[in-house]
Amino acid sequence: MRPAAEGPRLVLALPKGRVHQQALNALRQAGLRLEHTADDRAMRIDAGDAELIVMRNADVPTYVSLGVADAGVVGKDVILESGADLFEPVDLGFAACRLSLIRQRGARRKIERVASKYPRLSAEYLRRMGSAAEVVKLTGNVELACLSGLADAVVDVVQTGETLAVNDLVEVDVLLRSSARFVVNRAALKLKAGRLRPLIEALRDLSGA
Amino acid sequence: MKQGNGAPPDGTRFVTPESARLREAVTASLASLYDAWGYEPVEVPALERYDVTHPRAEQSFKLSDRDSGVLALRSDFTPALAQLVRAYHPAIADGERRALRYRYAGTVWHAIDPEFARTREFTQVGLELIGVSNARADAEVIHLARETVRAVGLVPRVELGNPGFVRALFDLAEVRTRDREALADAIDRKDRSDLRTLLAAAEVRGPAAEALLEATGLYGDAGVLREARRVAPWPETRAEIDRLEGVLDEFEDDSELLIDLGMARRLSYYTGVTFRAYTFDYGQPLLGGGRYDGALLPYAAGFSMGLERILGALPQVDTSTADTPQIDVSRADAPRADAPRAETRDGGTPDSGARAATGGLGARLLCSDDAVARRLREAGFRVLRATATDPSAVEDEAVAQDVGFVVHAGGLVDLASDGGGKRVASAPDHARVREALRAALEERA
Repeated sequence: MRPAAEGPRLVLALPKGRVHQQALNALRQAGLRLEHTADDRAMRIDAGDAELIVMRNADVPTYVSLGVADAGVVGKDVILESGADLFEPVDLGFAACRLSLIRQRGARRKIERVASKYPRLSAEYLRRMGSAAEVVKLTGNVELACLSGLADAVVDVVQTGETLAVNDLVEVDVLLRSSARFVVNRAALKLKAGRLRPLIEALRDLSGA
Repeated sequence: MKQGNGAPPDGTRFVTPESARLREAVTASLASLYDAWGYEPVEVPALERYDVTHPRAEQSFKLSDRDSGVLALRSDFTPALAQLVRAYHPAIADGERRALRYRYAGTVWHAIDPEFARTREFTQVGLELIGVSNARADAEVIHLARETVRAVGLVPRVELGNPGFVRALFDLAEVRTRDREALADAIDRKDRSDLRTLLAAAEVRGPAAEALLEATGLYGDAGVLREARRVAPWPETRAEIDRLEGVLDEFEDDSELLIDLGMARRLSYYTGVTFRAYTFDYGQPLLGGGRYDGALLPYAAGFSMGLERILGALPQVDTSTADTPQIDVSRADAPRADAPRAETRDGGTPDSGARAATGGLGARLLCSDDAVARRLREAGFRVLRATATDPSAVEDEAVAQDVGFVVHAGGLVDLASDGGGKRVASAPDHARVREALRAALEERA
């Protein structure tokens, strides 16, 4: 059941890393013919039914919201942190994780500083909790911020919790639950409906949404 | 951060000559398009009294006045225009039904993080049709939105919505007020899985809740309306679908119009049909607007467009070899074939000679026939589209609009000499205008 080839070809933004292969699998199951493997290092791939552009996950919302890509795959956590204005028609279900407030086991000190790759969501959470703690943005391994004393707590993604256990860290609170979403540019959904609508339907059928 | 190195503040920019010329040309072509439809220019102060109830209060730059009052930089034209109407046309601000057509162009400032290619200082161009509320008026504004995109040389696709549809479903499903914003946001993002979770959390169930889930898929061509009637078969929702269909019916050819019944932004502001314009190969809407009766004025509809946005959508021009902007402004000077109900698609280029010969009179007249109106605009007249259709009502409208002439499909009515007692202010060059009009009508017949 290939989506009918109608109108210009789609440009899809995919994140590097683990989600890349899962996204490819889902798109192929939905009927797209994509000649490409996840270990290919190219950033821009002419892959048959679509042109793929591959980037860091945090950049996917930017590429899609500005219309350089028609659609893409990215986590709900990343979408919320970006504040980008996108259509999010399908919850793909994979890459499920929690965005959590994490501390060292037994930490009691008042939280004065929080380190995170998600400064916007962290600040929103702290405001909601009535905390005046400051937020510092990090890009690398934020758990280190806790262990080294840079911050009293971190806000980060937890998938299995193994890393936390190894480093004697605990989840204190869950900010939100996330999973990979199929996101679509606001103009493309309407102007390339001939290609996107069948793809969305097929992806929804697959994810049981 | 960037102080002292000559860079302007974040989210603002300098405009160098080649860009400034293009901006000037586009602004002039749009002014001339709106002028031909009888839209009068207005200006409003860039400094406003800060008002917490202003729709964009949270995004306004604030300044302190010397008397310790707080001022705000203009963040939107529509509220300021409503104030202008209240000051100069209090009867219309109180609900009198008389058409006012205003156009504007100017800078607005938004105190936001300059991200996603948004700037904090930009130029808004737009128009408002105030004092009328019917499908004809909606169609006029939507048609001009489409012509706006065409006037800068882009191919328009206009999409219509009606937030009343989602609002009616909320009422039918008895959704509590506090839950509506989050639900509307999920519908607007077409996020069916989030919506399902939110509906369950808000304890919203039943056929109307199912219809809300279906609303995330109610977009496409006019066939969507049929689907919407199946999904939401209740009188309350049918009325909202009918309202949208009524506007579509104003267009002879609606094949290029798109529909999205899941448009659910600013649910409490827009009260009727809303719309956005897109163009191919550009990822953002070029302009947006709609009907907002009762929000700021009893009856009003309009749209505004970011000038920088629409210029960003233009194909890149090699300015190194061209000393004049490569934009065809002649099309805007002479609006083309496809007025609502007059979608002739003859594709002929209007000869600018006729305009040059008879133009310059600047006469305003009222016309009830779109095909005739188009010819007269091409000939340089400013032609208001009658908001009524009954001939006698149209002549009353002409008196209210203070225009001396009415043109029906059948011919010219000169209100000063054969208007049957209907008095209008007669311009000093009334006779000359009448002759020019007769000539234009005969020549084009």
